Amino acid sequence: MSDFKQQLKALLSEAEIYKGQGLVDEAKAKYQSAATLIRSKENIKNRDSLLSAIETKINQLQKERSAANQAVQSPRLSSKAQNLIKNLFLAADDEGKDDAALEAGIVLAKLGQFDSAITEFNKLIQKDNLRVAAAKNILQCHLAKSSEQEAIDQYQRWMSDDGFPPKQLETIRQYLEEILQQKGVESRLPAPKLEPQDRPAADLELELEKDDEEEFIDITSIAITFESGPHKGKTVEFEVNFQSGNMLSLIISKDEADLLEGLDDGMTLKEIQFFSPIAIFNGSAVVVSKTQIKSGPKQGDYCLDIRITST
Amino acid sequence: MAIFNLKKREIECKIVYYGPGRCGKTTNLEFIFKSYKKQVRGEMVSINTEGDRTLFFDFLPMGLGKIRGCDVRVQLYTVPGQVKYSSTRKLVLRGVDGVVFVADSLEVRREKNMLSLKDLQNNLKDYGKSIFKIPLVMQYNKRDLAEQGIPLMPLEQMERDLNRQLKVPSFPASAVKGSGVGITLKECLKLTLKSLQKEFKWAQ
Ligand SMILES: Nc1nc2c(ncn2[C@@H]2O[C@H](COP(=O)(O)OP(=O)(O)O)[C@@H](O)[C@H]2O)c(=O)[nH]1
Ligand SMILES: [Mg+2]
Repeated sequence: MSDFKQQLKALLSEAEIYKGQGLVDEAKAKYQSAATLIRSKENIKNRDSLLSAIETKINQLQKERSAANQAVQSPRLSSKAQNLIKNLFLAADDEGKDDAALEAGIVLAKLGQFDSAITEFNKLIQKDNLRVAAAKNILQCHLAKSSEQEAIDQYQRWMSDDGFPPKQLETIRQYLEEILQQKGVESRLPAPKLEPQDRPAADLELELEKDDEEEFIDITSIAITFESGPHKGKTVEFEVNFQSGNMLSLIISKDEADLLEGLDDGMTLKEIQFFSPIAIFNGSAVVVSKTQIKSGPKQGDYCLDIRITST
Repeated sequence: MAIFNLKKREIECKIVYYGPGRCGKTTNLEFIFKSYKKQVRGEMVSINTEGDRTLFFDFLPMGLGKIRGCDVRVQLYTVPGQVKYSSTRKLVLRGVDGVVFVADSLEVRREKNMLSLKDLQNNLKDYGKSIFKIPLVMQYNKRDLAEQGIPLMPLEQMERDLNRQLKVPSFPASAVKGSGVGITLKECLKLTLKSLQKEFKWAQ
């Protein structure tokens, strides 16, 4: 057998095996190499029919893949399987509880009850997976009470009392520094010392592309361009006080209440700029609710919740 | 998660088969189900899509009989491979007592193995566990494909890629043929029970 034939045969049999194992991308890559190999030879008899046969194989792979993806949505479950899943999720419940506590804290903060919100968030500081989110919210509570100094002091207390892994503390430092800078507050927050073991071990170093469906970047402020109402055409910048996923809460002073006139529940805001420490991007959002804060230091001010719909 | 019932002298522990999609986790469990009938206690439950991919997980309950007077029961689980099921993967790992990491010997899957191991490390960490401490065994699967001339990673290379630091017991295997499946499971059970024993001193 000629070299060419042997190579082609090897590529095709590899492709077939990968296909048989459900390794669609790998199979496709091999078919494509086979096609490239055929194209590189000019004087093969049945060149065109070979190429079209390979193309058919590739199309078939793609069809199978989209069929499999669609099938995923509605598996039939036996009662046994259902019970198993229930048990798994039941077991996961105490974890759900913590997430619920975080949400509860954010709700309190949105209602202007900063001190009780801080109490809630402080309970979550012990939980490794929620520590950073809780800490960010605590800082936001201090900032919302207009005490930048208290936020800085709080960071320094965390820094000195050792409860935070250095890596998490560094995330929080960067977060706070960014906000302070935006507010024009001069401050140099001391950085934690990162230990070598905070870096991943050498041969486990590959970064996994995260399934970041639920991860949102921190948004520090937004600029809304009014499309209608009394402020039509005007662009106003608001600070973001609390964030939970794609839900942003802005506390708007009663002195600026007239700005809220053009913003009603359910309204779509098509032109918004989002400012984050990493980038500025444009997008749209929906006004979820507008509530007046009934008590506490921000009494009379408004809390505007908007949900980012696209960026 | 291991559940101890000291009065009845029962232990139930959980072993998870982890690894990239299509590396042969389900095939491992299927072989165990077929070949260890005496120990299997009940049905193997697979939650699949119409194409035979594992959607949530597979589950296989086993009983290992009495070890030092204790009735030992083991639950075997597999995790789904695809990236989009990362939350299920994490959920299945909850309360795990021992892990079998199934690596795919195909050269074209080299990076996927490393990513999956890293994913395991992260998910364990989220549960406060260290990949360096949990009872763990490696399996280098699909060795049979060498006969068909398919490029496989040499075992030494897989050791370097995946096991240089962990230094856990590792076994070549062919889950479709069943070779290496039993020894992988036994070694993992041994490590798991040893570590539970240390933790709970149940065998005194
Ligand atoms: N040749 C060969 N194929 C295998 C082996 N183990 C699994 N497979 C095949 O690889 C594909 C994926 O296996 P599966 O057990 O579903 O993988 P999982 O996604 O890890 O559960 C199937 O087509 C299996 O038949 C093996 O040892 N040798
Ligand atoms: Mg499977």
